[in-house]
Amino acid sequence: MTYFLYPGCSLEAGGSHYQVSVEAVAKALGLTLKEIADWNCCGASIHYVGGTELQTKTLNARNLALAQNQGGYDIIAPCSSCYIQMIKTAHEFEEDPKLAEELNQILAEGGLNYTGGVKVRHVLDVLYNDLGVERLAAAVKKPLTGLKVASYYGCQTTRPYGEYDSVENPHTMDEILEALGAEVVPFEHKAKCCGSGIFFTEMETCAPLAGGILGEAEERGADMIVTACPMCQMNLEIYQPRLNKMLGTEYDMPVVFVTQLMALAFGGDFKKDAALDRNIVSAAEVLKKSAA
Amino acid sequence: MATKAYDKSFREEVYQNVDSGEDVKLCMQCGVCGITCPLRGEMTHGPRQLWSLIRAGKREEVMNSPDIMLCTSCYSCKVRCPRGVKVIDVMHGLAHYALEQGIVPRKETAKFGKAFWDSIYKTGRVDETEVPMRYTMMAGPIHGIFNMLEMMDIGRALLAHKRMKFKIGPGLPPSKKIRGMKGLKKMLDKAKSMSPGKEG
Amino acid sequence: MDKNQACYLCKGCGLGEALDFENLEEVLGEAGISEVKTHDALCSPEGVALIQGDVDGGVNAMLIGACSSRVKNDEFNFGSEVIVERASLREQVLYCSEAEYEGEEEAGEDRQMLAADYLRMSAVKLTKSNVPVPFQLELEPETALLVVGGGVAGINAALAGAKTGVQVYLVEKEAALGGFLGKMAKLAPETPPYQELEDTGLTELVAQVEADDKIKVYTGTTVDKTEGAPGNFTITLSGGDSFRCGAIVQATGWLPYEPEKLAEELAYGSNPGIITNVDMEAKAKAGDLGGLNGVAFIQCAGSRDQNHLPYCSAVCCTVSLKQAMMVKEANPEAAVYVIYKDIRTPGQSEEVYREAQRKGVVFIRRDEDYPKISESGGKLAIETMDMTLNDTVEIDELDMVVLATGLKPNNPKVVDAPLVALGMDQEAAKKLAAESKAQCDDWSVLNLQYRQGPNLPTLKYAYPDSHFICFPYETRRTGIYAAGTVRRPMRVSQAVEDATGAALKAIQAAHAAAEGVAVHPRSGDMSFPEFAMQRCTQCKRCTEECPFGAINEDEKANPLPNPTRCRRCGVCMGACPERIISFKNYSVDMIGSMIKSIDVPEEDEEKPRVIVLACENDALPAIDMAARKGHKWSPYIRFIPVRCLGSVNLVWIADALSSGIDGVMLFGCRHGEDYQCHFIKGSELANVRMSKISETLDRLVLESDRVRVEEISFNEVDRVPEIIAEFMETIEEVGPNPYKGF
Ligand code: SF4
Ligand code: SF4
Ligand code: SF4
Ligand code: SF4
Ligand code: SF4
Repeated sequence: MTYFLYPGCSLEAGGSHYQVSVEAVAKALGLTLKEIADWNCCGASIHYVGGTELQTKTLNARNLALAQNQGGYDIIAPCSSCYIQMIKTAHEFEEDPKLAEELNQILAEGGLNYTGGVKVRHVLDVLYNDLGVERLAAAVKKPLTGLKVASYYGCQTTRPYGEYDSVENPHTMDEILEALGAEVVPFEHKAKCCGSGIFFTEMETCAPLAGGILGEAEERGADMIVTACPMCQMNLEIYQPRLNKMLGTEYDMPVVFVTQLMALAFGGDFKKDAALDRNIVSAAEVLKKSAA
Repeated sequence: MATKAYDKSFREEVYQNVDSGEDVKLCMQCGVCGITCPLRGEMTHGPRQLWSLIRAGKREEVMNSPDIMLCTSCYSCKVRCPRGVKVIDVMHGLAHYALEQGIVPRKETAKFGKAFWDSIYKTGRVDETEVPMRYTMMAGPIHGIFNMLEMMDIGRALLAHKRMKFKIGPGLPPSKKIRGMKGLKKMLDKAKSMSPGKEG
Repeated sequence: MDKNQACYLCKGCGLGEALDFENLEEVLGEAGISEVKTHDALCSPEGVALIQGDVDGGVNAMLIGACSSRVKNDEFNFGSEVIVERASLREQVLYCSEAEYEGEEEAGEDRQMLAADYLRMSAVKLTKSNVPVPFQLELEPETALLVVGGGVAGINAALAGAKTGVQVYLVEKEAALGGFLGKMAKLAPETPPYQELEDTGLTELVAQVEADDKIKVYTGTTVDKTEGAPGNFTITLSGGDSFRCGAIVQATGWLPYEPEKLAEELAYGSNPGIITNVDMEAKAKAGDLGGLNGVAFIQCAGSRDQNHLPYCSAVCCTVSLKQAMMVKEANPEAAVYVIYKDIRTPGQSEEVYREAQRKGVVFIRRDEDYPKISESGGKLAIETMDMTLNDTVEIDELDMVVLATGLKPNNPKVVDAPLVALGMDQEAAKKLAAESKAQCDDWSVLNLQYRQGPNLPTLKYAYPDSHFICFPYETRRTGIYAAGTVRRPMRVSQAVEDATGAALKAIQAAHAAAEGVAVHPRSGDMSFPEFAMQRCTQCKRCTEECPFGAINEDEKANPLPNPTRCRRCGVCMGACPERIISFKNYSVDMIGSMIKSIDVPEEDEEKPRVIVLACENDALPAIDMAARKGHKWSPYIRFIPVRCLGSVNLVWIADALSSGIDGVMLFGCRHGEDYQCHFIKGSELANVRMSKISETLDRLVLESDRVRVEEISFNEVDRVPEIIAEFMETIEEVGPNPYKGF
């Protein structure tokens, strides 16, 4: 099975451990990942400050056109923001012929053309639907027995169309984590927003959002928060000391990517495959607890 | 009680010039978006009431409302609106529209967003190292240094965990452009000229 | 017919283990049925074959002691000539009684006595039942259909009727067909994607009517007189024409609520720019919507208002949406506002709402207070509460304000009394309502020559009464069906649906009359009330109480029954103090004898006996389901199904109490404004009659607590055991019936 991996800007840097682990997991499961040559940024959540809606769609239409020219494989967008931007454009392109025409007029400026049909997929979608939890479970060499995790999807991971999971009460990652042998604690904040794209610039305002998520995870006795969104990972993890200061809390909660745990459970290396050394709030201690 | 007179010019303006602005017409004022929004507590009006203000023609109140830039882009409103109003897209459209007219609903987000877009427009991508730096330096060199020092802990941590590339100063060495940057720029310009309110 | 009786007892479903069958056979023998057979599963093909063999051998009346009469009706059907009585040993004995009491032996005995009593009662019933012979009209039954009202509902009813091949008479009071449809400019979108206003389609409808040689149209005509009964109505028209018909559809539409009554609240009449939606429609039809730059619609103008029409008129929201779209179509730049309390757009009308929004119509939600309309500089202005902005807002520069007024029932004599009834003090309201009702009868569409008045009886707000949840187009006059806005406010598309339904129901009713069988809810029932007239005292109770106006009266006040108007509820039978009304298979004597057949133990045995007269439509299904669900109750209860609580004759209560029964419960459906009675008035009448019985009980030196009426709806299964337990407690407190053993 061949897919495009669209790393987006955040997997290149702040989410580098996501990329490393996605690649390790893909390898373990026999997926071939290709990069879309010369891809550009999706516009992310904050696109609107400088760009118009049509400009943002242009960014995404260009990537879709490139993907189509380069083989038309399904695009895996591990970053939720990239996923949402790209799938929105892909969707609206199919649904709105007027928009499709406009976008092609625009693409023509750069000598490109898009005829539609390229599929945009989230990592969870591919893992859950193309592979299935049974195959994932079969690949587990070191089950995460005894590890209690809060499965946190964040807001954008399944939205806006709910293509592969419920927008209100998602479950795919829970099942994947259970297949790895972890115990998934009930988690009401599973699809609540952490502050997302404005967290960095509106930290005071958004602190209670992130605080609520960390707080529930702690109350539920989770050893760590598991996510599939680099923005969530970043917001909840690297700003934890600041949040503690602002909220008067003492969170010390590891926040890891679901693929990091998978890489580990599939028998991969802590550093090389799971890139767990790149987590600022270290998960090494709690992971010792489990058989892995 | 203050009497507000309905005036149709602003709503026409929004329907025509704001991205997804026409969606406001379809709101049936159920209030689901307002109660759904994670930052409802921080907002003065929230989406539903903003739409009513638009329909009533309250230009000042809408354009100066910080709410339009307090959207976290969580998409909750969009998935729940029974009328299929793209609430989030209208919020973003309004923010963009306000900024274009020199109104800055939220300073920090505006600054950061601008740096972000500039990077896209210049290189086709966003360098996660460069953009925050540019953003911090935007306050001017002195403030910038202070800001940077304040963010130092985070930067250092990211650096140490291989999650940030080391750079000495903003834009040094210059970020790599994507190969098709020239074409992309043309496309973005064309897209802008075709956006609502920009035609002709 | 000579009766050749037999009894079949089933040992299936656990009955075989629970009951002593030898004893039951003895009981039956004492009751006069000596031919008794048992089978391990009567409903099995073998069981049915056993019975069929006997039927072939001459058995024509049988008692089946097995499961409830509400199940296995196909298995135990041996043709209309064979009387089948069912004793519900399974539901009413086995399922609902305990197999044993904690630490005591007695349970089996109680159970056995229960089964024995049911067999005794059924044996009596069987003995007293006769095969009904359907009623036959004297004249050849007529199937033609009369449709009164030539609006959209009437035209569609006529067309639907003609399509089935029957002769249709269509009578319209105006000079041309069309009704209000003819006054409408356009229809709100009716077909997907619900974006375009549509033509009324009237021209095509009229053309279809004219082309149909089965439809005879009378315009400029009204109905002077409607005599007779289903299958045999005689209609006399204002023009003098007269004909017979089998059934009638009344589709005479609605009246607009009078805007003058809104002069105070909404300044109607103070400015020519303030008009109603009816005026607006006329303007649109005249192509007079040009030059409008600002228009506001005020919803619920008089509707949902305790001082005017307390109900929602159902269509005015969609009408305003349509008219707003028309204004926008004439001038896309126009500022159009709809000021509403709630937008009520049932079904696909919601799409119309969206379309109006897409066209740029602005919606403002107001509170209960009406907006203030004023004049400024030759234009109109509105001040209203804006609920979303939580502030008073002003809308000015308006050329026109349209009041979305509502629909009234079509009777010009209706005073608003019954309409305002909710908002005023109850006594005054009742008085006004009564006056209005009386006044309403000064005017009639059909001019029914019925003892109970010329109109279809009404319930609330002067709309015709019917069991509208179960039987929408029904009225309380059998064979006469109401379609369209004559029965409640509704949209054109709903009226079309209504019309088709009503026409088909009417044709069905005419056929039922011809065959001498009942229409719903006892569809197919061939029995009908027969009067032993020699003993009638002309007390008028039956003629007054029949919920369906079936019984007329001659000059000497003798009742004149019209069996094809009759629904076979037995209310008349319950009413008659002389007990001279009976059905072939249901009579005062029959139930009385059943009661008397119950074996009442001596006082010192401490085994009370209570009978429950249970309505077949609500109580009986609830009891069956409760038993099947595993609920248990006292084994001292005996249920006796009745057609309707209204058919309960007070003599049964005397029969019961004088034979030592300790308590009597009437178990039926809800009465009152939200009644559920299949026969509309039955349970209400039972309540009225029972409220008067305490006197009689006092005379007998009996506690009135011994008699009780309880209401239940068929799905309130879990309340069955509660209600029974509570009554049993009361009976225990009151103590044994002093008449025991007399
Ligand atoms: S959820 Fe949709 S319809 Fe409801 S108030 Fe918000 S935008 Fe309007
Ligand atoms: S997308 Fe924005 S406006 Fe909508 S609920 Fe989320 S934060 Fe609020
Ligand atoms: S249909 Fe609308 S305007 Fe008419 S009474 Fe009902 S809610 Fe009011
Ligand atoms: S009361 Fe019932 S049974 Fe008697 S005539 Fe009227 S409808 Fe028929
Ligand atoms: S109720 Fe009985 S006695 Fe009275 S009028 Fe009717 S038939 Fe005669």
